[in-house]
Amino acid sequence: MKVAKIKVKDNIEKTVLSFLRETIDKKLFDAILIPMMVPAGDSYAWVLAQDKSLLDGAYYLPPIMSVQGAKALSSVTKGGKVNKRVAAIMRPCEIRAAIELSKLNQIELENIFLISMDCPGALPLKDWLKDPKRGVDVFKKVIQHFVDEEPKPDKSVRPACAICHRFSDSDAVDLHIGILGTEGEDILFIPHSTQAEAIFAELGLSLNENLSRWQKGVDEVLKQRKKKRAQVQEELKSTVVGFDKLLDTFSNCINCHICQSVCPICYCRQCYFDSDKVKHPPDDYLMRAESKGNISLLPDKILFHLGRMSHMALSCVGCGACEDACPMSIKVAQIFSLIADRSQGLFNYIAGKSIEEPLPMRVYEDDEFHEVESP
Amino acid sequence: MFNKNKSILIVGAGIAGIQASLDLAEMGADVHLIEQKSSIGGHMAQLDKTFPTNDCSLCILSPKMSECARHPGITLHMNSSLISINGEPGNFTCKIRESATYVDPDKCVACGLCEEKCPTKVTDEFDMELRTRKAIYRYFLQSVPSNYAIDAEHCLRITKGVCGLCERACTAEAINFEDTDKEIDIDCGAVILAVGIDAFDPIVYGQYGYRKFLNVVTSLEFERMLCASGPQMGHVVCPANDKPPKNVAFIQCVGSRDRENGRNYCSSVCCMYAIKEAIIAKEHIKGLDATIFFMDVRAFGKEFDKYYRRADEQFGVEFIRSRVAKITELPGGDLRLHFAHQDGGRDTRDFSLVVLSVGLQQRKDILDFSESIDIKLNDYGFCQTADFQPLDTSKPGVFVCGAFSGPKDIPESVMSASGVAARAARFLGLKRQKKVSKKEFPPERDVVGDRPRIGAFICHCGINIAGVVDVPGVVEYAKSLQNVEYAEDLLYACSQDCMETIKQRIEEHNLNRVLVAACTPRTHEPLFRETLREAGLNQYLFEMANIRDQCSWAHMNEPELATEKAKELVEMGVAKARGVTPLQKLPVDIDPRTLVIGGGLAGMTAALTLAETNYRVFLVEKEEKLGGNLRSIQFSLGDSEPQQLLEKTIENIYNNKLITVYTGTEIKTIDGYIGNFRTTVVPLHRGGTPKELQHGVVIVATGAGEYPTEEYRYKESKRVVTQLEFEKMLHNGVFTGKPMQNVVMIQCVNSREEGRDYCSRLCCSQAIKNALVLKRERPAADIYVLYRDIRTYGLKEQYFGEARDRGVIFLRYDIDNKPTVELIDPENPNSKLHVTTIDPILGKQVVINADFVVLAVSINAPEQNRELAQMLKVPLNEDGFFLEAHVKLRPVDFATDGIFVCGLAHCPKDIDESITQATAAAARAMTVISKMVVEAEGSICEVNSELCSGCGLCVEVCAYAAAEMDEEKGIAFINEALCKGCGACAASCRSGAIDLKGFTNEQIFSAIDSLEMAEILQHSGT
Repeated sequence: MKVAKIKVKDNIEKTVLSFLRETIDKKLFDAILIPMMVPAGDSYAWVLAQDKSLLDGAYYLPPIMSVQGAKALSSVTKGGKVNKRVAAIMRPCEIRAAIELSKLNQIELENIFLISMDCPGALPLKDWLKDPKRGVDVFKKVIQHFVDEEPKPDKSVRPACAICHRFSDSDAVDLHIGILGTEGEDILFIPHSTQAEAIFAELGLSLNENLSRWQKGVDEVLKQRKKKRAQVQEELKSTVVGFDKLLDTFSNCINCHICQSVCPICYCRQCYFDSDKVKHPPDDYLMRAESKGNISLLPDKILFHLGRMSHMALSCVGCGACEDACPMSIKVAQIFSLIADRSQGLFNYIAGKSIEEPLPMRVYEDDEFHEVESP
Repeated sequence: MFNKNKSILIVGAGIAGIQASLDLAEMGADVHLIEQKSSIGGHMAQLDKTFPTNDCSLCILSPKMSECARHPGITLHMNSSLISINGEPGNFTCKIRESATYVDPDKCVACGLCEEKCPTKVTDEFDMELRTRKAIYRYFLQSVPSNYAIDAEHCLRITKGVCGLCERACTAEAINFEDTDKEIDIDCGAVILAVGIDAFDPIVYGQYGYRKFLNVVTSLEFERMLCASGPQMGHVVCPANDKPPKNVAFIQCVGSRDRENGRNYCSSVCCMYAIKEAIIAKEHIKGLDATIFFMDVRAFGKEFDKYYRRADEQFGVEFIRSRVAKITELPGGDLRLHFAHQDGGRDTRDFSLVVLSVGLQQRKDILDFSESIDIKLNDYGFCQTADFQPLDTSKPGVFVCGAFSGPKDIPESVMSASGVAARAARFLGLKRQKKVSKKEFPPERDVVGDRPRIGAFICHCGINIAGVVDVPGVVEYAKSLQNVEYAEDLLYACSQDCMETIKQRIEEHNLNRVLVAACTPRTHEPLFRETLREAGLNQYLFEMANIRDQCSWAHMNEPELATEKAKELVEMGVAKARGVTPLQKLPVDIDPRTLVIGGGLAGMTAALTLAETNYRVFLVEKEEKLGGNLRSIQFSLGDSEPQQLLEKTIENIYNNKLITVYTGTEIKTIDGYIGNFRTTVVPLHRGGTPKELQHGVVIVATGAGEYPTEEYRYKESKRVVTQLEFEKMLHNGVFTGKPMQNVVMIQCVNSREEGRDYCSRLCCSQAIKNALVLKRERPAADIYVLYRDIRTYGLKEQYFGEARDRGVIFLRYDIDNKPTVELIDPENPNSKLHVTTIDPILGKQVVINADFVVLAVSINAPEQNRELAQMLKVPLNEDGFFLEAHVKLRPVDFATDGIFVCGLAHCPKDIDESITQATAAAARAMTVISKMVVEAEGSICEVNSELCSGCGLCVEVCAYAAAEMDEEKGIAFINEALCKGCGACAASCRSGAIDLKGFTNEQIFSAIDSLEMAEILQHSGT
């Protein structure tokens, strides 16, 4: 694999931005979809930046994930393809969600140039909001630990990020930005499409093949994350598996449905559980109460989560947005990771890994799942 | 030209007779279907499973049987036979004899009380004498019609004048001992013979000890043993010792391919059914070993070779190429098979059970029958047909289908049955049908907005339900349910008088919803719906609870629980009935024109069949000339002349004013749906302008070609040619007057191997045909055929014999040891060739000097099929051939209505088979275009555009291409004319944007909610 290696000037963030600025200068892109700090300085919002000067306040890797990038991209392309060349720079989980959504007709990827980066994770929104200024410093540390020759896990990232094992390169993007294992000295630009290679040529970037430092960094983080993932999932199993335990886990759910609103894959225009179809005549509730002694209200709470699980399992990309948003700190994302791993594993499918892989539900196999047949 | 009559007589109600009846009735004919037995269904009803899909035979057959019995255009004459045919085509008078059954079919409700009381036991014919029945009996449990009949030969009352217990037991007063045989005359325009075949009786093969050794059974007996509803209820035991077999041997070609016994034909189906029975047996009996002793495995049909390979690799069925010499019995009933291996070495093997794969043979009574109606039989007793007219008998106006004209499997029988319907239709005075149904109904009462007033009718079904379930208790329970205005028990809800009762109650109590708790909606729902229509209610205001299958049958030993369950099912039904709304069936206008894609023999035959029945046809062919592959076929196995057929067919096409031919033309786009297609065709020559054609149906006949092979030095040497090229050389006289020639033919080139795992079906006969042509011209020529299995199925077998008699040498090779071809002088491309192969008998390598090497390359589905398949939204199989709706029973239909397939586009087949299937495709098209309007299903899906997110999953899962995307709005919609109401899209829609009318989420949830799911709900805290 050939990559372009760029020396870091000032810091990684600025170096990446100056690269992006140059692509706009040279009219390689007409616009860039990128997070930008809000004027108050306490959050980041997605912007479609057409003017290179706008890029000044932009952050290719902001400390938090306020809106899932795929949702932002979907809001742009749900109605059809964009007619100009747009680069979208997003975290790997956001990329995966975008790929998944493109298979579900919610995103049109034509003319979209996808850029991802090695992602150390994001800070929990709750921690961030306590003191955004401090958060910026904390995140700098996170990155430092991440790019170190001997990367160290950082406890300040979200639990979903701490167990994320798909934090780096994938074939689904046009261009990947490698920062692991470089001690913050270099950035690797790894091309995955002829378009990316053409951009390199246009910018006069020279290619070399030395990836060993980066690869070592990737391998080490992967090892750590996989170990952590296994450990967390094992612990989770003892607390959530089985109907009673699942009920306990979701017992403090306040039915706000925020997990559904922030989830990129929850693309329904109206959630079934928000519709009139789950509202029953008063007598029905009394009848249910009669048959069971009592019923808990609001109703259909666990059904909502089970419904979401069944819809999400095959497409969940593990971005953690649901858990980050949950006001009751339910471990939604971690539970979903458990379910997604198993259900996607059944079909040898990884949500968002490749645009070529059809959704498992779209593939008809004559011969499968004999284990669930009656003997 | 004739005094045209709308009636048709069809003799024999096996699967072929049933299919022909349904097709003709749909075209508007008055069908008289006569059957000797007391049920329709024929041999197919006796089969356990069907190859190559392992579908349950009766499960796929019985809906067709019910449809046949219910169709207003079909009159069944049971226990009847044809005596004579008089008159002219178009105006026949047929005499039929209806045997006395002593049971009035209009009164009998099949309760079974008579059977219980009858003291006389008789061996049962349907179950191959493996069990006994009574003298009053039903032919089999799922008989259609379902009524009983008395076997006069064994009835004590009839033979000896004593007994009569059945008469006393029958509460329906259906028994009539005064019944007599009747002869009736039927006037009809044409006659179709679908009388079928018998299984060969292996008693003449003394060496196999059938009837002497108890553990030697025939394949049809074994089929009944395997069948879950058969005499052993699927738990196979050996007859000699009642123990499950440890191993089972199948002996092939019993009564087939046997010149000594005058049976010089292949029965075509035995290899496949033996493989099927071996697989099923292995599935039923754990640890069973199954071995098939065979000469050639003739897995020549569509998907057959893959099935054969699965049997071998996945199920571990053992195949031994050997003819078994004799069987001896061991103490305890086990059997010893004596046989010789290929190399001549003698061997024995012991088995617990031996199945003789008996062939198909003419019916015992066929000689008398054929004489009485004056039709000719061939040497083997099958119906004689003329060259290239596989559906016509020797008597004008009398047609033949099914296995009576030669061994056929089920799909081939069905194809010939549809085909024969089209042939016969020309002799009937049929007009396009204005109305959807022949029946008149009163106007529908508007019930929208009315409070539900539900009538609940609980059926005793004689003792069938009431013997277990407390029916009056269920009635009382139903009365207690909300909105149930009226409840009553009925002895037989489906009997004519009970239907009248239901209609009366609807009126008396002003009911606007009806629930019947009885048997299965699969067979009876249409009947009750019709009753509602007769009472002026919309037919969808009906619900059914199945308290027979799900209560009295499933829990026959727990009557109290069965009753509880019946109450719950009734409660669920009532809950659902409360919410059901009237639905309308959408009428769809039908354009009577047909587009035929492909102008080869199949396409031309389909076009001519339609045009000769007065339908307009657009025939589109991409080549400049019509004819397709037939242009290259010079010879046939017999003495018929393919080129004459070609010339005559093309002439007929151009002489027919109803056919518009577009040669040198391609299909650009196809839009629309059944009855209303729009197709753009574009001439391929420069400057041609596109043209839009409007038509109601499509027939796909795009053919296939030879695979572009690179094997066996085909590219390097001019002396290596394909069979088609060789045929041309023979025709051009290349070999005339030349010195003696050595020819080596290599079979299965690019066939039956990894990646191209199918048999091309024709190549064996093609090689033998060309070998015989050369031998006739130059008897001294040495011809070697290197083959893997010789698959001269059916009546083609005799030519395999003739080739051997004339000295053609057949050498078998293994796929792992393919022959090799080398130029003798590698420097000279014109050099003669050395063919090296291993002689399986000597076990040694032999080298043959060859002047020519002829390759039987596989038949290859054209790449363009993919494009066309996408345009039509129909599927292809793994090998690129078009995939029909059902491999057994719908061999020319697609799942999408109004589109049909025939010829090589479907799979490899010979000239007669292509003609048959093309005629069948025309017939299936006629069942649509013979109507001015068809009704779409009323219970169909609809998209709530407010909720649809446009993800497109519904489009992907719809098997009927009914779900489509509105690209502009970015949401899905359902084409009402195409939707079959299967609900797959509704299930796939995670936004809940799709509802299946009649099964909406609300309706289903209210049924579920009415159940006491205390256990689950208590936990859920919802």
